[in-house]
Amino acid sequence: MLAPVTTAHYLVLSAILLLIGVVGILTRRNVIVLMMSIEIILNAVNVNLIAFARNLDQLEGQVFAIFVICVAVAEAAVGLGILIALFRNKETVQVDEIDLLKW
Amino acid sequence: MPEGYLPIFIFLICAILFPLVLLAIFRYLRPSLPIPVKLEAYECGIRAASNARGRYTVRFYIVAILFVVFDVETIFLFPWAVRFRQLAWFGVAEVAVFLSILIVGYIWAYKKGALEWV
Amino acid sequence: MTETVFFYCFAALAVAGAILTVTMRNAVHCAISLIASLGGVAGLYLMLHAEFLFAVQIVLYIGGIMVLFLFVIMLVNLEAAARERQFHRSWVGGLLCAGGTGAMLAWFWLRGAGTLRLPPAVQPTPREGGNVESLAMVLFRDYLVPFELASLLLLVAIVGGVMMAKKRI
Repeated sequence: MLAPVTTAHYLVLSAILLLIGVVGILTRRNVIVLMMSIEIILNAVNVNLIAFARNLDQLEGQVFAIFVICVAVAEAAVGLGILIALFRNKETVQVDEIDLLKW
Repeated sequence: MPEGYLPIFIFLICAILFPLVLLAIFRYLRPSLPIPVKLEAYECGIRAASNARGRYTVRFYIVAILFVVFDVETIFLFPWAVRFRQLAWFGVAEVAVFLSILIVGYIWAYKKGALEWV
Repeated sequence: MTETVFFYCFAALAVAGAILTVTMRNAVHCAISLIASLGGVAGLYLMLHAEFLFAVQIVLYIGGIMVLFLFVIMLVNLEAAARERQFHRSWVGGLLCAGGTGAMLAWFWLRGAGTLRLPPAVQPTPREGGNVESLAMVLFRDYLVPFELASLLLLVAIVGGVMMAKKRI
């Protein structure tokens, strides 16, 4: 028999997603994949918020998750715009080739 | 688990498994004799004009940004619509402020020619 | 019982999609695995009685943000990038940092599992109307200012995105 799902299950899942996102951000070179990793992290946060909203039987967590999604949209729109401007000037999407300020 | 969603979940799993299982079966049943002409993209008989992986123009992206932003706006308007009567004029005023701020952005984009397809 | 089975199905989908997203070579494949991962998370929202967020996740994340990502991938032709190295030189350091964070979380979990007393999940109080109706009252009554500020954020997103992407303003 499988144990019933508790809030702790959701918290562990959220932590796993967060770690995968962090690994993606710290190791990949492609800027687009970096931004996708940020989306994974935001999703981990949302799972956490909604799990607690369910646990405490309040709706504030869900409202907060809506605002998080709203911020994710703004971030994606502006971030991808910056990426396009970057690609137009540098013809690359690899983070370690964008090093003009580094030496 | 919310009541009444069990059939939907089962349906979802069937829908995901069906094409996967079929593709896996046919992989072993069908003969595989690839020749270059067979592997070309089929465009109603004419020769393909260019590679499908070519670069798109940036205009698609600007339209997509505007689409996503107004998608968010719809998400916020939806709960207001289902509670329209209870919220009464208070809700109308609230949403009017919300929309007027967003319409400023729309007018700005229109003035800058972001919606023109030149 | 069924709830547990479905939880593990959706959790496996979310985690497997996320892992594929950070390991795949071709950016289009990354985006598609991220869509699978987001779908798994959407299923979890449904199991947590957040029906409205389930719909928002599908309409906004999968239908909006991921489309934006796919447009950009097609815009910046990544065939050359797919053939290059995918992980940068200090990937060991990055992995170590993430592993350290994971070990720290696990340690806190093992140490504090006894002290972390989550109140047992209460049965959802039957509210008048459904999830969307009750959400609307909270959103439009208690969270009025954040709601109005969200429109400002979206205005900034329009201006920023168009300014960055357009060649000549």
